[in-house]
Amino acid sequence: MKLKVLTLLACLAGSMGSALAAEGELSIGTEGAYPPWSMSDANGNVTGFDADVGALLCTKLAVTCHFVVQAFDGLIPALKAKRFDVIISGMSITADRKKEINFSVGYAELANMFVAAKGSDLAAITDVDTLLKSLDGKKVGVQAGTTHAHFLEKRAPNADLKTYDTLDQMQIDLASGRIDTAFADQSALQDFLDKPDGKNFQLVGVEIKSTFDPTLGEGIGVGIAQDNTELKAKIDKALCELIADGSVGKASQKWFKTDISRPCK
Amino acid sequence: MIDLIQLAVPVLLKGLWVTAALTFISVLIGFNLGLGLALMRLSSSWLLSGFAKYYSTVFRGTPLLVQIFLFYYGLGQLSLIKDNAALWWVISDGSRCAVLALALNTAAYTSEIMRGGLMSVPAGLIEAAQACGMSRVLRFRRIEFPLAIRQALPAYGNELILVVKGTSLASTITVLEITGYAKRLMSQTFAIFEIFAIAGILYLVINLVLIAVIRSIERFLMRMRRDPAMGRAPRARTNP
Repeated sequence: MKLKVLTLLACLAGSMGSALAAEGELSIGTEGAYPPWSMSDANGNVTGFDADVGALLCTKLAVTCHFVVQAFDGLIPALKAKRFDVIISGMSITADRKKEINFSVGYAELANMFVAAKGSDLAAITDVDTLLKSLDGKKVGVQAGTTHAHFLEKRAPNADLKTYDTLDQMQIDLASGRIDTAFADQSALQDFLDKPDGKNFQLVGVEIKSTFDPTLGEGIGVGIAQDNTELKAKIDKALCELIADGSVGKASQKWFKTDISRPCK
Repeated sequence: MIDLIQLAVPVLLKGLWVTAALTFISVLIGFNLGLGLALMRLSSSWLLSGFAKYYSTVFRGTPLLVQIFLFYYGLGQLSLIKDNAALWWVISDGSRCAVLALALNTAAYTSEIMRGGLMSVPAGLIEAAQACGMSRVLRFRRIEFPLAIRQALPAYGNELILVVKGTSLASTITVLEITGYAKRLMSQTFAIFEIFAIAGILYLVINLVLIAVIRSIERFLMRMRRDPAMGRAPRARTNP
């Protein structure tokens, strides 16, 4: 109930300007239906990795935080309409979104990995350079238009790249043996491995992150309105400190059982 | 803009060759298959003509994209196909699968076009050939086929253009032809309008060349029947 009132207040306050952070309050837009990043219960309480990151950020900035739950595709329009100050909702920093809003530094990033048949030569590789070299002439599946596709075009130019409109189509071809390997983020590949079709496959033990190559994107960031450069500077600084002292990593361990925090440059 | 053209054109030209190859091989297979189906359709055996009729109904009555997906994703899941080395050789590769679908599809249309051409051959000419003692094969080669192809060529030219455009669907099964490369360039540059405009021009160029070739073949086949002014009925001639 209290949160609903706060949300209502935030809507009213939002129309008056977005300098809320300076006045001791930060309103955060989040999806609330994307476990384990952001979940909201019947009472409107938001939990998950993003809720923890938001709470850490508010403590650091010495402001009170409250969450506004909103469908994912409406988050950017709502931010532009100043219904909240920032978006923290597992949102990847992409060129398209950057045309609409600003992003903080990336605070998290899922590992990008290859998947290959159990017992194949590829599956045994443990370092990234050998892996990229051994892709020469191999049929490699990737989703069209993703950072993964751009990465392979640049770093594995001699691979026979097969691009798919959807991950489902890529999984069908992987299972039928038309492609030797596929490249995607770990959660997408895990989804395949958990299906019956994926029982003869395994992840190749090499995690490739965007620190290895910037074409892999800039990770997941906090969305901020484009005209709010003051807030962006504050959040960037706070996030870097939180990543450096391991607080974000600890929150990640709690929700993902692994550290997905992204080192801040 | 100049940078974009310099980036896109060489890549799309690579796709142009793939598009041309897909069209050429599909048409080569599809034409022969279609001619065979047309002869089956006109044969007196109800089994042969029935098969040809249902074949053309099925392949003309379903979208090419659905056929491509059925061959690529559908057949690729059957262990019967995967265990057979020859079948798997065809089905495992996107471009071979696209050729298969395009060839079988164009064969259905070709059979209908050729059937119309063969039916237009006057019965009197065939009877005359029979009376001269020509064998069936010789009669087909010298009388029926040349006359039928003259009738069928304008409609067949249309079908060839449809095959060229149909190859763009191969991009949905990972084949990198003009459309496949265009999609890839689109996600690299976000210059959707420019990239697809260039791709469209390339298709247009292929089809213009194709139309010119078909016109000249038409002119060659009609050389003894027409005036220098193409397309007009022959004028009555008077002896000097």
